[in-house]
Formats: sequence, structure tokens, C-alpha cells
Amino acid sequence: MTATSTTDLPDKLNAPAYPTRRDEAWRYAPHDVLRRLSFGPINVLAGDLPDTIDGQIPVLEGPRIVVVNGIVDHTRSDLSALPPGLRLIPLADARRDQPEMVAAHADTSTSGADDAFAEHNRAYAQDGAIIHVAAGHHLGAAIHIVDVTLADDTTNASCSRVMIHVEEGASATVVETRIGAGGFGGSNTQTTITLGDDASLDHIVLQDVPSTQVHLSHIDVAQGARSLFKGYLFNLGGSYGRVAYNVNLAGKEARTDLSGLYFGTGDQTLDQQITVIHGAADCTSRQSFRGVLDDSSTGVFNGGIDVRPGADGTDAEQANDNLLLSDRAEVNTQPRLEILADDVVCKHGATVGQLDDDAVYYFRTRGIAEAEARRLLVHGFAHQIVDVVQDPILQDWIGERLGDLNG
Amino acid sequence: MLHVNDLNVSIGETPILKGFNLDVGPGEVHAIMGPNGSGKSTFAHALAGRDSYEIAGTATLDGVSLLDMEPEARAAAGLFIGFQYPVEIPGVNNMYFLRTALNSVRRARGDTEIGARDFLAVAQEAMDLVEMKPGFLNRAVNAGFSGGEKKRNEILQMAVMEPRLAILDETDSGLDIDALRIVASGVNALRGPERSMIVITHYQRLLEYIRPDFVHVLVDGRIVESGDHTLALHLEDNGYADFVNHDLDDTPVRPLSGAAR
Repeated sequence: MTATSTTDLPDKLNAPAYPTRRDEAWRYAPHDVLRRLSFGPINVLAGDLPDTIDGQIPVLEGPRIVVVNGIVDHTRSDLSALPPGLRLIPLADARRDQPEMVAAHADTSTSGADDAFAEHNRAYAQDGAIIHVAAGHHLGAAIHIVDVTLADDTTNASCSRVMIHVEEGASATVVETRIGAGGFGGSNTQTTITLGDDASLDHIVLQDVPSTQVHLSHIDVAQGARSLFKGYLFNLGGSYGRVAYNVNLAGKEARTDLSGLYFGTGDQTLDQQITVIHGAADCTSRQSFRGVLDDSSTGVFNGGIDVRPGADGTDAEQANDNLLLSDRAEVNTQPRLEILADDVVCKHGATVGQLDDDAVYYFRTRGIAEAEARRLLVHGFAHQIVDVVQDPILQDWIGERLGDLNG
Repeated sequence: MLHVNDLNVSIGETPILKGFNLDVGPGEVHAIMGPNGSGKSTFAHALAGRDSYEIAGTATLDGVSLLDMEPEARAAAGLFIGFQYPVEIPGVNNMYFLRTALNSVRRARGDTEIGARDFLAVAQEAMDLVEMKPGFLNRAVNAGFSGGEKKRNEILQMAVMEPRLAILDETDSGLDIDALRIVASGVNALRGPERSMIVITHYQRLLEYIRPDFVHVLVDGRIVESGDHTLALHLEDNGYADFVNHDLDDTPVRPLSGAAR
């Protein structure tokens, strides 16, 4: 296990304070639980992982990097046969062998996170992945980054980073799977994405850590002119699963399509914090998030559209639809719109509802038992997001989890 | 086949059906006509098992008492309801829905389930019946369907489910003449000696295409007149006024089905 250099550790005096309930973006977080996370190298190695962990990872065709407790597990990773135009390197190796590549990425990416957990990540995330797609290359198979946390008793929270740079006119698909095993713990991942002019990226996050763990994810996206970012979030696991997007449409005519599904059971809290910044003229953004909340679970959707001065011709839409399956379930949905430009089209809408009794009855008159009718209807609601992901392997993986969740 | 005896249905404090009687024999097609608010749809959904009704009386299908059963059990017993307003279900594939429905009743009856491939043939036949284009089954159930497509989808479901008794609730409402012809020919193709139908309609028009064996006039929760198909023509000419203005308490009890049993 590599020791963390003490000079990298946050200066406790200068480090930002832990967020509290008074911070809007952290209002629904379980602060007592978050304070029990202790960051640092976890003294559990990849070899200690239970065999069952491999069954939790979707089997995709392309290259993959598996990060276990913040350190790349080379035996589970596959970096053979990388296609032309792709550099995919474990972050620790890149820092050692190609520091200029890491520095170049750090220069082009922006981070909107300045909270204590972002600071922890900067301090402790030694490893992860750096993905570089050279200009004009169109990669077929998805690049798969898997983050696995296996907590031990003392240091229970891992940090990792993923840096993605898709150069001018290039395109790629990246899947980030976040899973784990063991007792109480947490994972803290930071993803920074830079898209050059005319670049495009499909970025899929599958968050399914065990209910013993919390997951904190921050995704920063900086987009060049006419670039296209498609983000797909499946926020399913953890006692607290939090995924924050900070998308900056910095170049003219860029477009971002974010869609997401959160599906809570038990006493989970699933938290999405979205900010899309229209920083240039004639950009388009779409946010389409759906939540299904059962038992006493809580959903949070805090979705911002931030239209900066000069971002004329902005076309932004946001939709958040929620299905409450229990009278103890809760959803907190809040749009945040700040518009400082002219000639802007900005739409937002949120719904919270229950299963349609008429639809349940309709199915039952067709011989379908009530429980099955409800299951079909819930899946129908959720699958309108699942179907946006066109990869059948991912669809099956997600569908299985939804089936499990819905008993 | 179907015997409904002294059916009383109320919604909250409001009585809707007040001593409704009806006998339907095998292979018979009955039409129930009546003005708005007379209880036609309530009859259909009381039999289908919609909750929120207070129900007294009996209804048996092939000797099985329906009224204590869950809606899905009634479907397994052979009852099918064609909805006046089919529900839109975004996100649920029409084909998957149909196969789940068919296999649910097959399972309940102790039959083997039908596989995806074999079901395709069943579905294709049903689609031909209602002149549906390919691709129709890959859409979400009724979502974004036109009025005519929704009603055709109801008949398609009926064709797949092969019920003993189908109650078609205002299947003609909202249909143009072409859709009406398609729906009616689908219904006619599904007539048979072992399948009975009750066609609920407001207008006589549908009965030009589906000729009933018996016509009943439902007014204020009771059947006040029964006859053959010529009764529908009488209604077309004279409306319901003859019946609506009766002092119903004095109306003699009539033989409610023309079936001589």
C-alpha cells in the first residue's frame, strides 16, 4: 500500500468546514453519518475482495480499469488492445510517468466543488484513471471504470479520481460503475471531464454501493463549442447516494443532455445536485430525472440552470418526475434558475405522484395480479429513463437491480 | 352463462344500479342502451371489480360467483371488459403487457404459459383482426394512441384473451366511421357459440354493425324494457323519453332476457 505524502493532506486549519444542514446543497445529507467517515488509504487489498464482487460488475466489451479502495487493481483491469486514439492509464502511473499529461488535464478542467469532501478527494485520491481521446477519433466500445470500496474498521472511506479529455471532434463512451462490499464505509469519487470543440461523450454512472455505505460523487464537465455531453445517472445504492453534476457550457452551441433515475427503498437517501451553467451563446441543455421512492426512502433533486450574461440564445429545459410508493417516502425537488441573459428559453417542471389506481385496475381486469400490475407500472415509469441507455448489457444490469429493489 | 340478480350498486351514498337483473346465454349478444347517467358503465365495472363501489346482489358467470373475486380472478374466470376510456400506460410495452395478461390468466387456469415466439403468432392474428400496422405492439400501452387506436387495442386484447363473456363499454364512442367498421368487424369475428357479449352503447349506430340478439333499455339503474334489435330502432326514432318519464316504481317486472330459459 502506497503511503500518502503528508504534504498532500489538507491543512486542517485552512480546509473548508464540513457542510451542514444550513448548506442548501447538503440539506438532506445524513451529517452524523458523514462525520463517521474516515478518509485515507484503506488497509484492505484487492485480494481481500469477496468473489461475489465480480458478479456485480457489468461485463462490457471494451477496456476497463478497476479501482479497489482507491488503488488500481491490475488483475481485474484490462488495458490490452486499446484502440487507436485512446490513452487509458491508471492515474497513479500517469502521475509518475507522464505528469505533463495530468497537469494538462488539470489546466483544462474546472472544479465546481469546494466543500470538505472535494478537499478530501484532492488530498487522498492517489489513483483512478485518466482517459484521453485524441482529436478526431471515434471510439466504439465503452471505456469502463469501476470503483470498488471494501471498508475496514479504521479507515473506511476511499477516494478516487477519473479524468476524461475528449479532444476536438472525437467521441467516446465512458461507463463508471461504483460498487462495494463489507461494513460501514464510503466512497468519494471526483470525475473531471473536458470536451474539446465538436467532441462528444456518453457518460454513464451506475451507482450501486451496498446499503452499509455512502457514496459521494462529483462530476465536473467543461464543454467546448458545439460539443455534446450526454450524462446518464442511475443512482441506486447506498444509505446515502449523492451525485453532483457541475456542467459548464463554455463554448458556443454546445449541448448537454442529462438524464437520471434514482430508485430508493428502505431508508435510503438518494441525492442529485445538478448545476448546468450556460456560459456561452446558443447552448442547449436538457435535464430529465425520475425518482421512485418506496418504504421510508428520500429523494432529492436540486437542479440548477445558471444562464450567464452574454449567453443569449440559451435553450434550457429541466424535468423532474417522482413516484412515491409509500406514504413514508419523501421527495424534495427544487429548481434553481438564474437567468442573466436575453433571448432565453428556459423551462422547468416537477411532478410528485403515486401509482395511478386506474392503471392498476386496468391491468387487473386483464388478469394481471395487483402486485405484478404495480411492478409493471413502476418499471414502466423507471424504464423511460433506462431505455435512454441503448446498450442492452447495461439495460439488463440496471433492470436486474430494479427487479431486486422492487422485490 | 351470466346471471345477474337484483344487483344494487352505489357510489358513496348515491345509488346507481337499483335492482338490476340480466341473464345472458351462451353465444348471445346483448345490447344495453340508455341515457347518460343511467348506470351502464357502472354495471360493467361492478362486474369487472372496480373498488369504491358498494355492491349487493349476485352475479355468476358459468356458475361462479363473481362479486367476491378480485378483478384479476374475474378475468381468469373468463370475463373481459372493453373500456370506454382505455388507460394510457407510458413505459409499458404493449406486446409485453398482452403476453403478461394472457399468461396471467393461463397460469390462474392451470394452463402452461405461452413463450415469446408462440405469442407472436397469437398477437399477429389479433392484429390482423383489427387491421393494426406492424409496430403497434412495440409502442407503450395506449400511450399517444388516437381514440380509434385505443378502441382497436381493446378489441385486440379481447382477441388475445379469448374471454367467455365480453362487456364492451361504449366501444363506439369517439370513433369515426372507418374505425367503427374495423372495431365492429373485429367484434363480429370473435362471436361464437361459446362466447357471449354485452355491448353497452349510447347510440343505435354501433348496432347497425353488431346486430344484437337482445336489446335492453337501462334507465335510472334499472332495465325498463327488453326486446330484439328492433327496440334499438325504436329508440333511434323516439329517444329515451318514453322510458325516462315512467313512474318506474309501477313498472311491471318484465322478462329481462329474451332467452327462453
